[in-house]
Amino acid sequence: MDSQAYLPVPPGVGMEENFFSLDDILLSHERLSCRTECAFPRLGFLEKSGDTRDIAEGTKMELPLWLAKGLYERKRRVVSVEVPKVYREGWRTVFSADPTVVDLQKMGPYYYGLGSQMLHFDSPENPDVAQSLLQTFIGRFRRTMDSSQNAYNEDTSVLVERLDCLERQRLSSCKHFLLSLPGG
Amino acid sequence: MPIVHNGAVTSCVFFAVSGNSYSAGTFISSTVGVPALTHSFCKQNNPAVQTMDPSEVEFLAEKEMVKIIPNFSLDKIYLIGGDLGPFNPGLPVDVPVWLALNLKQRQKCRIVPPEWMDVEKLEEIRELERKEDAFTPVPSPYYMELTKLLLNHASDNIPKADEIRTLVKDIWDTRIAKLRLSADSFISQQEAHAKLDNLTLMEINTTRTFLLDSLNCMYKLRSNLQPGSNKGKALDY
Repeated sequence: MDSQAYLPVPPGVGMEENFFSLDDILLSHERLSCRTECAFPRLGFLEKSGDTRDIAEGTKMELPLWLAKGLYERKRRVVSVEVPKVYREGWRTVFSADPTVVDLQKMGPYYYGLGSQMLHFDSPENPDVAQSLLQTFIGRFRRTMDSSQNAYNEDTSVLVERLDCLERQRLSSCKHFLLSLPGG
Repeated sequence: MPIVHNGAVTSCVFFAVSGNSYSAGTFISSTVGVPALTHSFCKQNNPAVQTMDPSEVEFLAEKEMVKIIPNFSLDKIYLIGGDLGPFNPGLPVDVPVWLALNLKQRQKCRIVPPEWMDVEKLEEIRELERKEDAFTPVPSPYYMELTKLLLNHASDNIPKADEIRTLVKDIWDTRIAKLRLSADSFISQQEAHAKLDNLTLMEINTTRTFLLDSLNCMYKLRSNLQPGSNKGKALDY
């Protein structure tokens, strides 16, 4: 039995992030492509590609999630955020066909986290995105469960590399348990 | 976020809670008059799911009684948990497994295998287990741990030890496969209630962390579908 002096805070899976969770902090660094709805005077340095002193209205730029969340407001129309490719119609069909095939690590290691945060931005596709996240999770449950229970002595890197950050964390929480099972 | 469950042979209790509210309808319960021992052993607090070590389960298993034949004599001994003895050479006496193993290691006794630890009986149980879809009643609520302990320390007293080991492992594998199947269908159909009879503590322990974690995640993802119910609710520290 080991007791932990350091208890890491797990990520908040839903629409709220946990303030102290390292995973959530890293998640909020993900970049989203946004379109500015009003001019940002004298903030031209934020946009790497242009040399203008101001950012004109209607510019497309990449903002990290933490900035986009802070700036987003429905009434005052400061920025409008585009839903990333992975959560759009095309990829949603792929996920509904067979969720286990997709390499979630490549799609952005925070698939579920980022998806939940996207729901803040009031896009018309929100219910579909939320439904797709849930169905993908359920679909991949079987695969993650099997790998968590059966692979304690083997090299799991091939299995693990296709998993998203949330799934990996659940896997590792079971790993130490398996090492102490009695004779099989 | 307590995980209360009784290690009873008849049924298991799962509470999936996230934060401070119950997961959407996943409530399974049943009761038998066995005290909820595990709560005191389970590790600590929010928000991680509590775990229970297999060594803790083994510790609980060592309370079971087993028959031994001592080769020494001793008067009745009075322990806090109850009285044991008197010990007379050559006469069988019932003792808890922890004492039996200790005496065996000091070569002071011979362990008599429990009645269910017999090749024919275990073969019958194995066939029954393979036939049925549900879980069949087990020979002992700690069959896995007792097999391991007794076969590791006292295999010279148990006839056909290797076959017994294989048979028990087969039974265990079948039951774990059924448990995984049922957990998988529980999640994929998003059911709200499940009742599993005749599970032992060790089997429950294998899926506890993972299943409850997943149910928590599912709850949170599901509550994304109703926005506005969750906004502004973050975990407090």
